[in-house]
Amino acid sequence: MRNNSFKSSRAQEYDFAVALPAVLWQILFLYVPLCFIIYISFIKAIDFFIFKNITLANYKALFNPIYFSIIIRSIFLAFFNALFCLFLGYPVAYFLALRAKRFKNMLLFLLILPFWTNFLVQAYAWFFILDYHGFLNKVLLKIGIISTPLHILNTPWAIYIVMLFCYLPFMVLPIYSSMTKINKYILEASSDLGATNWQTLGYVTLPLSLSGIRTGFFLVLIPSFGEFVIPALLGGGKIMYVGSMISYFFLETKNVFLGSAFTVLSGACLIAIALLIYLVFRKLSKPSGFTGATGPSIKTNNSAKLSQGNK
Amino acid sequence: MREIKLKNIKKIFNGEVILDNLNLTIPSGEFFALLGPSGSGKTTLLRLIAGFEKADSGHIYLGDKEITNLPINERRVNTVFQNYALFPHFNVFDNVAYSLKLKKVKKDIIEQKVINVLKKVHLEKYIYKDINQLSGGQQQRVALARAVINEPDVLLLDEPLAALDLKLREKMLVELIDLQEVLKTTFVYVTHDQFEALTVADRMAIMNYDGEIEQVGTPKEIYEFPRSAFVARFVGSTNIFKGILRIEPEKSYLDIKGLGSFEVVVPKDKAWAFDGAIVLMSMRPEKIEISKKKLEGFSNCLEGEVDSIVYHGRSTQYHVELKNGKIIHVFEQNEEHFPQEVIDYDEKVYMYWQKENVVLLEK
Repeated sequence: MRNNSFKSSRAQEYDFAVALPAVLWQILFLYVPLCFIIYISFIKAIDFFIFKNITLANYKALFNPIYFSIIIRSIFLAFFNALFCLFLGYPVAYFLALRAKRFKNMLLFLLILPFWTNFLVQAYAWFFILDYHGFLNKVLLKIGIISTPLHILNTPWAIYIVMLFCYLPFMVLPIYSSMTKINKYILEASSDLGATNWQTLGYVTLPLSLSGIRTGFFLVLIPSFGEFVIPALLGGGKIMYVGSMISYFFLETKNVFLGSAFTVLSGACLIAIALLIYLVFRKLSKPSGFTGATGPSIKTNNSAKLSQGNK
Repeated sequence: MREIKLKNIKKIFNGEVILDNLNLTIPSGEFFALLGPSGSGKTTLLRLIAGFEKADSGHIYLGDKEITNLPINERRVNTVFQNYALFPHFNVFDNVAYSLKLKKVKKDIIEQKVINVLKKVHLEKYIYKDINQLSGGQQQRVALARAVINEPDVLLLDEPLAALDLKLREKMLVELIDLQEVLKTTFVYVTHDQFEALTVADRMAIMNYDGEIEQVGTPKEIYEFPRSAFVARFVGSTNIFKGILRIEPEKSYLDIKGLGSFEVVVPKDKAWAFDGAIVLMSMRPEKIEISKKKLEGFSNCLEGEVDSIVYHGRSTQYHVELKNGKIIHVFEQNEEHFPQEVIDYDEKVYMYWQKENVVLLEK
């Protein structure tokens, strides 16, 4: 025992030493700049570390429906992009993890293949697909679903479509990973006890892959909120999102004070939304049985846990 | 309660034939054990009955109804899995109530039934516990309760006690027998452990490495009258001798090269048991009397030299080297109130047995 604890404390020291460069890197290039941005958002002129001219003037200037509509538009984009990714990605992950047998590895490879190309190249590739004379319109015309080509490029449609496909792997992979951890005998037990495939999906597979859904949802939601490239390229830059607004402040008007304030404000909104979604997920994953398990069972379950804790 | 009939079942996995032309009838309401070594296809057979696997050809009947292609969830068959396969996100109540909730049974009836079935497996105190708060034995009982609550026609058990320690396993075996007597459901119990199979089964089937059924019978029939050398070796331990059968009007003998002639009882109506045939003789170690003295009243006697002695407490196992170099195993009960003669290493001993206590087998 003593030998073991000695070893583990040594190992802990060692772990810390290994983690140190990464931690320093994070502090230097993430937390320090973040603190600067927060500080700059409260001042009017460059006066580093004087703390005299603290003011809320920047935030007052942002108190304008235009800025709020931009933040709300971004939240909307982030949330629905994550939701669409979930609806499209869940069946993909389900198929890969539980149904695909022979071609599983090849399909997984195809799924992560886009990561091998530059993100910008991917975005540009969509020009050729969504263009007025592009591939999608040609196909739709050929099939006869539409009679005149659709204007997709430079509209929110283009942004949503491309966002969906660029972020899909971030949703599929965590869900896939959580599903592969489900014991296949549990799924067999469910059908054995009389469940149809849909019932097994709802009562067993879905609750047991909830952690993957949550991870995927945040992996898509958070970067989607600040997405800059796709709205700028495929939205034609006409529709402003948080990312484009921040770049406008910093690069076009060079107003770092207003830009910082806007960054902090939108960041706060994102944290608030993420927290709300997190709470929803926590409510969903409560081990309270299924189909609204009997009332007393939940109560007694809790009291049983309490008594367990008191021991 | 209905019997299960398997007809000409064939199952191939990745080009390898697991089961070929298998026929088996499992009688209704019995505790039936499927015993075989690892890789004999016994679990595959169970999974075919449950519906987790589809047979490549052949038919499965439950009573008069063919269930060969019936979906898993429509079969009145439930399974207890080797690793329990409990739902980790449900508590004991929700695990056990699962099948009833799927059927939309009324809440108060569900509660009543869950409590009843948990009482049968002595878990009523744990009804609202989380699954991961339970021990292995308790989880096994939850799995059992979950499988029987829906009153299936057949309960399939796939090595259900493999993960438990010996003491707990013996206790659970007795409880399983009691449960089967109460429920009167057909139990099909898959195991590679001959002790478990002999303990629980009303009737058992022995499968060999080729996925064939060697013999079906009661544990006593299987043990006392194995029909093949495989069964004799797999169920219990035995000494096998090869010899030439010599049938004479009065008595019959087995001539074993290097050992001599031994009187045997020739099985009737067996085509392979003719005069001059090469056959096998199976001799259970506990049917042999070992002594340093010359004894009267036995039909056969062999002499040898003690090679090693293994003391088991309740019994002692002697390994005795015969004249032809072969080692045979002998079990002796240790009865303290009948002082036994002391047998030691390298001593010359005689082994006696009655001709009725050995079995002749086809080579």
